[in-house]
Amino acid sequence: MMDQDILTITNMSFNFINSPGNTDLRVLDNISLTMAQGEFISIVGPSGCGKTTLLNIIAGFIHGYDGQFSYLGQSITSPSPERAVVFQSAVLFPWLTVYGNIAYGLKQAGLKKAAINEIVKDYLGLVQMVGFEDYYPEQLSGGMQQRVALARVLALQPKILLMDEPFAGLDAQTRLNMQELLIDITKKQSASVVFVTHDVEEAIYLSNRVYVMSKRPGKVIKQIKVPFTGIRHLSLRNTKPFITLKADIWDLLVPSSQGIPARQLKLVSK
Amino acid sequence: MLRQSHHITRWGNKFDILGIIIPAAVLTIWYSVTRVGLVPAYLLPSPAQLGQVVLDFATGTWHLNPYSGTLWAHVTVSSIRVLHGFALAVIVGLPLGLLSGRMKLVSRLVDPSINLIRSIPGIGWLPLAMVWLGVGENTTVFLIALAAFFPIFINAAQGSRNVPDTYLRAGEMLGANKFSLFTTIVFPAALPSILAGLRLGLGLSWAYLVLGELTGVNQGLGAVMMDSRMLGHVDVVMVSMLYIAVLGWLSDLVLRSLFRLAPMRTGGAPQ
Repeated sequence: MMDQDILTITNMSFNFINSPGNTDLRVLDNISLTMAQGEFISIVGPSGCGKTTLLNIIAGFIHGYDGQFSYLGQSITSPSPERAVVFQSAVLFPWLTVYGNIAYGLKQAGLKKAAINEIVKDYLGLVQMVGFEDYYPEQLSGGMQQRVALARVLALQPKILLMDEPFAGLDAQTRLNMQELLIDITKKQSASVVFVTHDVEEAIYLSNRVYVMSKRPGKVIKQIKVPFTGIRHLSLRNTKPFITLKADIWDLLVPSSQGIPARQLKLVSK
Repeated sequence: MLRQSHHITRWGNKFDILGIIIPAAVLTIWYSVTRVGLVPAYLLPSPAQLGQVVLDFATGTWHLNPYSGTLWAHVTVSSIRVLHGFALAVIVGLPLGLLSGRMKLVSRLVDPSINLIRSIPGIGWLPLAMVWLGVGENTTVFLIALAAFFPIFINAAQGSRNVPDTYLRAGEMLGANKFSLFTTIVFPAALPSILAGLRLGLGLSWAYLVLGELTGVNQGLGAVMMDSRMLGHVDVVMVSMLYIAVLGWLSDLVLRSLFRLAPMRTGGAPQ
């Protein structure tokens, strides 16, 4: 039996109202998207294509869309720890320590101190931040902050992890490390992830499927199944199928009418 | 990999020799003119005489004037009045400000009235307060509470209004309900602004204490000022001014150290 869909979006459109000139700004146009339990999907698209808006709707931060949208067969009315969000900047609470930040959601859930202590310890280990309990966010590097942000939501055992360009603000090497960490964690936790990014390579490397969106108003141009199975390693990025897929997606994002198809450019540079 | 930590609040500033020049010059001129007799002592006592009154007011050693040794009684009375009025301002101003910053309905309800009342200078309330509340105790506390209310309210409102949406979204997503959002996110995020308002309010409290006490109460440093002026003790007037300043400074120190117990880290605002 096929995994059950955890998320179903059918013909969703969304307008920002009251934009300058008092005209509605169409941000999402007729989006359809599904996600199976345990699946890792990425949404790639140019800046301003509405991918963050889409993520915010799934999170429950934004309302007032047209079309159908259901999560485990129900409609969404408000944010919930079941659909945890990792933002582009870590958005840790600066007045709490690393420990306090990870414990925050657990406290809201009404857990006992001893239980919280246990869970925080586990997740500090999972994101490789043991020993930093008493540090304040401002004392940490961007990559470390994102690890804590990841730990504080994973500790709540979300059904879906919503990630909004979480590694975009990190330097190249840290980004690679974080991607490896994420692959490792999603394998351990068998989490379902919606990952928004403008980094095509990152999208392919991490996902089972990639949704490619057009620039505003955002439409799904194509849905691509990533053919690589098994455990992924960094070396995958240099294989021919990976590079070809990357070039194909770039062609979708930058229409070939603007010049030489990206695939040819890639071959030249290789 | 770790960034340098830095606190938002700091204790004393570094000592700067340049800041000493003007006080030293004033003191020298002051000493000279009183020494030579250019200014009579009943208008301006010498620094040495003033120093002696400072001690005598506190200890009663020399019985220089009727106020000798009565400092602590007056300080106690004045401090209680300030505490009373300031507490009233905090109890009303802080929650109202925090709510007004976050809830449209509250701000639409109270902001216009508060701005209207705020445009009346605090001193302007004195005659009316004397008619309504009588001369003395109640008027003084009322003036203090009224004056301290505005900076406390305004800063609390501004602080809670400026809490980044991303913090609130993060809190909601982590499972906080509306009440928790207020206590665990809005309040700590607004804390630096709240402290700024409390400090301003406390400073004004001492100013309005003097105003209230000038108008006919028996005890308190303001009363001593007015009373000793009539009896021709300019030195006691000046010494009272000095002690008011010290009390204001001390109370600010206490307030700041209370807040040092709470983490005042604001970090960088998230994008």
